[in-house]
Amino acid sequence: MPFLELQNVSKGFGPASNRYEVLKDANLSVEKNEFVAVIGFSGSGKSTLMSLLAGLERPDSGKVMLDGKEVTGPGPNLGIMFQNYSLLPWLSVTGNLEIAVKQVFPKMPKGERKEYIQRYIDMVSLTGSEYKTPPELSGGMRQRLSLARTLAMKPEVLLLDEPLSALDALTRSVLQDEIIRIWEEDKRTVVMITNDVDEAALMADRIVPLTPGPAATLAADFPVTLERPRDRATLNFNPDFKTLRNKVSGFLLNLSEEAKSLKIASDLVLPDVKPVDFTRRYESVG
Amino acid sequence: MLDGLKTFLLKAVDLSALTFLEPVVRLAWGEEPPVQMRRIGRNIVIPLIAIGAFLVAWTLISDKIQTKAGKLPGPVATYTQASKIWLTHQQEEEKKAAYDLTGPGREARLAEVETRLDDLVALDETARQGVIDAKAAAADALAQAQAPIDAKIDALKGQIKTAKATRKTELKTAAAALDAGNKDAYATFLASMQDGAQAIEADEDKLDVLKAQYKAVTDATHDPLVEAQKEATRVAEEIQHLTAMKDLLGGRNRGEKLAGLETKLEAATAAFYTAPGEKAYNAANKISMTKRSVTRTTQANYPTPYTLPYQVLRSIMCVFVGFLIGTAVAVPVGVLCGLSPTIMAAMTPFIALFKPVSPIVWLPIMLIIVTGLVGDPDNNAFIQFLWKLPFIGSYEVNPAFLASAAVVALCSLWATLANTALGVASIDQDHINVARVLKLGFWNRLFKIVLPSALPLMFAGMRISLGVGWMVLVAAELLASSEGIGKYVIDQFNNGSSESFASLIVVVFVVGIIGLLLDRIMIVFQRAVSFDGSVASI
Repeated sequence: MPFLELQNVSKGFGPASNRYEVLKDANLSVEKNEFVAVIGFSGSGKSTLMSLLAGLERPDSGKVMLDGKEVTGPGPNLGIMFQNYSLLPWLSVTGNLEIAVKQVFPKMPKGERKEYIQRYIDMVSLTGSEYKTPPELSGGMRQRLSLARTLAMKPEVLLLDEPLSALDALTRSVLQDEIIRIWEEDKRTVVMITNDVDEAALMADRIVPLTPGPAATLAADFPVTLERPRDRATLNFNPDFKTLRNKVSGFLLNLSEEAKSLKIASDLVLPDVKPVDFTRRYESVG
Repeated sequence: MLDGLKTFLLKAVDLSALTFLEPVVRLAWGEEPPVQMRRIGRNIVIPLIAIGAFLVAWTLISDKIQTKAGKLPGPVATYTQASKIWLTHQQEEEKKAAYDLTGPGREARLAEVETRLDDLVALDETARQGVIDAKAAAADALAQAQAPIDAKIDALKGQIKTAKATRKTELKTAAAALDAGNKDAYATFLASMQDGAQAIEADEDKLDVLKAQYKAVTDATHDPLVEAQKEATRVAEEIQHLTAMKDLLGGRNRGEKLAGLETKLEAATAAFYTAPGEKAYNAANKISMTKRSVTRTTQANYPTPYTLPYQVLRSIMCVFVGFLIGTAVAVPVGVLCGLSPTIMAAMTPFIALFKPVSPIVWLPIMLIIVTGLVGDPDNNAFIQFLWKLPFIGSYEVNPAFLASAAVVALCSLWATLANTALGVASIDQDHINVARVLKLGFWNRLFKIVLPSALPLMFAGMRISLGVGWMVLVAAELLASSEGIGKYVIDQFNNGSSESFASLIVVVFVVGIIGLLLDRIMIVFQRAVSFDGSVASI
């Protein structure tokens, strides 16, 4: 039985007369401790999908199930890491972690809580920046803090909404390794949204493409059979990796072409224009 | 180490929004001197030049504006008046201290005062003599200045008189020689008569000019005399002050009075125990009367008159009381409005209706309400409680004070209310999502997410509120006759002495500078709570 499940979920926005269907009949099942990457084009409803999984939004129809029970609202068990950090700018690094830890583990004694918070700060390599506030941190540090806050809640499911999209390539690869290391140390169910096929292939057990919106849905998945630990340096020469990447990329490209042809139903007729050489006219004048 | 100091200074400059000091700090560390010099030129030198130009213009204009209350005081007169106000305040403080002084300190101070008084007697003599001499000199100078003009006037007068007489005789002779019936001769005669009148009129105009000159010379002030009079006044004032001091250090001193009463009490007690029969009643009565005097003297304070610095402190306290009341109402209501669109919709008509009401309308209403609630301040528990508080007690809070504070509150709360509502309503959706994921309860959400994120806007509103409150306060005090800057202004206006005009100009600057300081304080708070550093610098 799958641990986290989307059952025929549909979600739209706007009034009935001008309704925009973002997701239609999306189905997804994630096993316990599985790492799933959802990949899709921008604007295809990835963030809506994530909000539904986190319980921040309720589906119009269908159900989101967690461990056999329907998800009716957000909670610390569904640890979502937001795309735009969502840190509290008036609190320090420690403060941002403390507010989460205090709320999720209210009975933890003060001394223990301090150690616990420090452990997560060390885990994401923010040691030394404990008393800085988010505006004083770099983009990568903010992202790591956001990750630490989500992890510190010890969620049953980790929902990563394009966690690395706002980062430069170098910080990105460091954080990719970091997330994999943390996940391998402390296995749990992960759903990650990304727009990067390489990233998905490197990190996930399974890649699920999201068809372009409107009325997006989840297409057939691609299992990633590459052995762990995966090394990014050697991976590029791995034939399985190449095949997988080509397959996923090709599928996505097909999807987008399909979507394009769907959108532009009628042929556009271009006006019949001829180029005019202006230089000649000026020559005659001057 | 030095770099640390630089960072600290730059941070302090930034926090206090005194950005014009930033290039000075940077220049002190030798950072890009040309750039810093340019910035200093723009942010410090130009304003200083502008101030200088203002002072010059003020001096020039003040000379031209003549009113019933004297000339418009220029910068110098204003500064002199300000020093005078400050001196009076210090003298009152000295007197107050003298009243409470006891033991060897009192004796030393008394000796000091007496020595100075002795010196002053001689000085006073000199000053008086100076005035007499200056008066004589002035009279001489005046006589000297008047004499030539006077002579000219006399000469001209004589000339006119003679001319008139000559003319008269000439014309009469001519008239006698007139040929009756010759119309032309008659016309010529009439014309020559008018010509003669014109010539005399021209001379009379000259005489008027001379008379005006004479008056100007007579009215002109004699500078040495003015100086001598000022010196004499200064010495006389110091003598007056020191005489009062001597009195307060001597017979009117609290300790001395008490000592006197103690002796009296002892004598009365001794007399009581030996008093026979009926006389014991009188003796006992005397004891109890003396005991009452002792209690009264112990409790009595030196009655400080309301000097301007005291009024200013009272006004500042009043504005803060009003501001705190206003904030205490505005913040919770603003938070409720921001949290719930329903409450916002319910409150909007009231905000729109009451916000534009002038303090002058609120004041009588508040005065009636507060006076009605308080009744007699001497028998009101709340007022009595306020009087007993350590710091506030010395300001004798009364209904007029409370009414002024209430008006400040009523007029200033709107800005805080609107900004708080806006700050709470415009909280970042991401932060709300964090609260939802963490399942924060209502209070936790309010205090850990909503309020911190609304604080910068809230403080921006409070800064506007305090500014409005300070402006409203002076008008309120003036109307309510509540001791404070407003009362001082109306007193000076009604007083109409030669110094009042200058005092009023001093008040303009005092009110302006305090308003500026209050604003700066609020900027510091606003910067301290803002987390994105996007607070306006002015």
